[in-house]
Amino acid sequence: MGDDIIVLRGVSKSFRKSTIRREHTTLKTELVRWLKRQKRPELPSTSIQALKDVSLSVPRGKTFGLVGRNGSGKSTLLKLVTGIYAPTAGRVEVHGRISALLELGAGFHPDFSGRENILVNGIILGMSRREIRDRMEAIIDFSELGDFIDEPVRTYSSGMFARLAFAVATHVDPEILIIDEILSVGDEHFNRKSTAKMEEFRRAEKTTLLVTHDLATLQRRCDVAAWLDAGVLQASGDPTQVVAAYRAAVAESEMAAVEQHVARERAPVQPRSGPPAEPGRRWGSFEAELSEVQIRGADGPQHVFSPDGVFRVQARYARYGTVARPRVEVTIRTEGNGALVWSGSEELPGGDQSVVRLELPRLGLGDGNYWVDFTLSGEGPEPYDVQRGLHGFAVRSESGGGLLAPVHRWSVEPG
Amino acid sequence: MIRSFRELWQYRALLWNLTERELKARYRGSGLGFLWTFVNPLLLMAVYGLVFGIIQRSNIPHYTYFIFVGLLPWLWFSTSVQTGASAISDRRDLLTKVRFPAQVLPTTVVATNLVNYLLSLPLMVGLGGLVGIWPDVHALAFPLVLAVQLVFTLAVTLIVSALNVRFRDLQHIVANVMTLWFFVTPVLYIPNAVPEVYRRLYLIANPMAVIITSYQGIFYEHRWPHPRGLAIVALGSVLLLAIAARVFESRREEFAELI
Repeated sequence: MGDDIIVLRGVSKSFRKSTIRREHTTLKTELVRWLKRQKRPELPSTSIQALKDVSLSVPRGKTFGLVGRNGSGKSTLLKLVTGIYAPTAGRVEVHGRISALLELGAGFHPDFSGRENILVNGIILGMSRREIRDRMEAIIDFSELGDFIDEPVRTYSSGMFARLAFAVATHVDPEILIIDEILSVGDEHFNRKSTAKMEEFRRAEKTTLLVTHDLATLQRRCDVAAWLDAGVLQASGDPTQVVAAYRAAVAESEMAAVEQHVARERAPVQPRSGPPAEPGRRWGSFEAELSEVQIRGADGPQHVFSPDGVFRVQARYARYGTVARPRVEVTIRTEGNGALVWSGSEELPGGDQSVVRLELPRLGLGDGNYWVDFTLSGEGPEPYDVQRGLHGFAVRSESGGGLLAPVHRWSVEPG
Repeated sequence: MIRSFRELWQYRALLWNLTERELKARYRGSGLGFLWTFVNPLLLMAVYGLVFGIIQRSNIPHYTYFIFVGLLPWLWFSTSVQTGASAISDRRDLLTKVRFPAQVLPTTVVATNLVNYLLSLPLMVGLGGLVGIWPDVHALAFPLVLAVQLVFTLAVTLIVSALNVRFRDLQHIVANVMTLWFFVTPVLYIPNAVPEVYRRLYLIANPMAVIITSYQGIFYEHRWPHPRGLAIVALGSVLLLAIAARVFESRREEFAELI
């Protein structure tokens, strides 16, 4: 335990919703309450619980990553660790000097020059005047502001502002660095520099507590990770596992949303007339259509696959008018539109209805989210039924990244 | 209370820098720049001098100098309390992003106005010289009175700034109370102008009256401040500061959440 630099024990935090139900506090109500010697009523319904009984510890010298959706309580947790908020219940223990980058440029005054602002911002972040003077040149160098350093900060672009602020914050030389998704400041070049700075921190065995939405960063750069959802700690430990769990949950909720959307869109469809066209997603002449599209794994409908698993799509074909040589084409593409798999069926049999299936015995795709698009067309210029971006699935891989996951084998031989 | 002031001591560099910046920022970009420190009280004095020296003729000799002696410390007090009221509630940018002792902010306001007051002292002395009143040995008591006013001003500012976070009405109330307070404090007149029956009550209930008359005693009448009156105010101010520190301490956890 002595090696944990930050320890949270059963920490909860709730905020009062003071503005609802005429709960405005005014001098008068407070005075009346005081005169009546009443305690402030603590109705559970008037408070929002941002964190619920969170216990975790950050080992000294490690980089700790925190993920979660918006509003999951990540920022509240950081503010508790920093000491800006006090916990409603539980204990927060911190053993070391903290520098927090919750927002860049705290206390910057627009009318003062970059140099003057370095001084005040540095002191606010916990440096002594002497330390700042010693590091002034290094900070200015790092910020790459050149002659602008003596111009008022209000003349800076937002990129310059962020660079200066980041430069000050990383030169504080803290034992614990707390960062809230600010790695994406400035241009590509500066991003690399800040990444390098963070690596330097890591090599120097300083503790970093990082909140990010970038899962790749988290996996690459963190030693330990935790996932918060709705104020509850869902998982913590090895970053790869935490990220996998988080991704699966996000994928599932995304898929659920897509399906709901599709179900809503389909509801008014009359089988014989064909569904109403939706520009960009579904269109065609609807003389024939595909319905009941299913993405299936080995045991039935499935949305999250492993690269090695079997992958099937299935749809019901129905013909309403005269069609000529109908065929089904299936495209699997990334969310960014790059087609990965394209395959067309043979001519469908002449009956009014049939079930069409496509099977990939081994999916062979890497980590990511994908769409399956369908085109039902014949010899005529207009397709019968095109469905794009309506059916999605996700691949979650335990090992390795990349778009493709072909069968492969490693070998190392002496020689 | 000890904790509050120890933290303040730890962050003295920040206090000093913010004060310096406040002083520079106040007049930055204006044509007269720092000269406004002198021009502002001079103009105010001219207004009161016009109203009470010429229109509503007062029989106090060297009236403009008399006003100046009381007006400068009064401005230190009233500006501190009025600006200090929103010192915390307006600094969302700082308090919700960084951990640092919030008492630095109202203290900075008090310190800034103190420096302003001290800087305008040469002007006051020069004005006295024009009418032949130079500071004499009684000026030795000046640091003491200054210290008492510092403690009192700091106490009031801390309380007002802490309460204003929850009760935003306070800053508007304070502005009006200050106007009233100004007129019940002998800046423009001498305490003898107050009817006999109220005079005692008036000096007991209004610490600023004791402080301002002490300054006037030192620089205008050349006499020592009333020892018992000043001692009572000094003691009361220290007590008030202790209360202020407690009020501040009990409220500061809610600052970040409420602003």
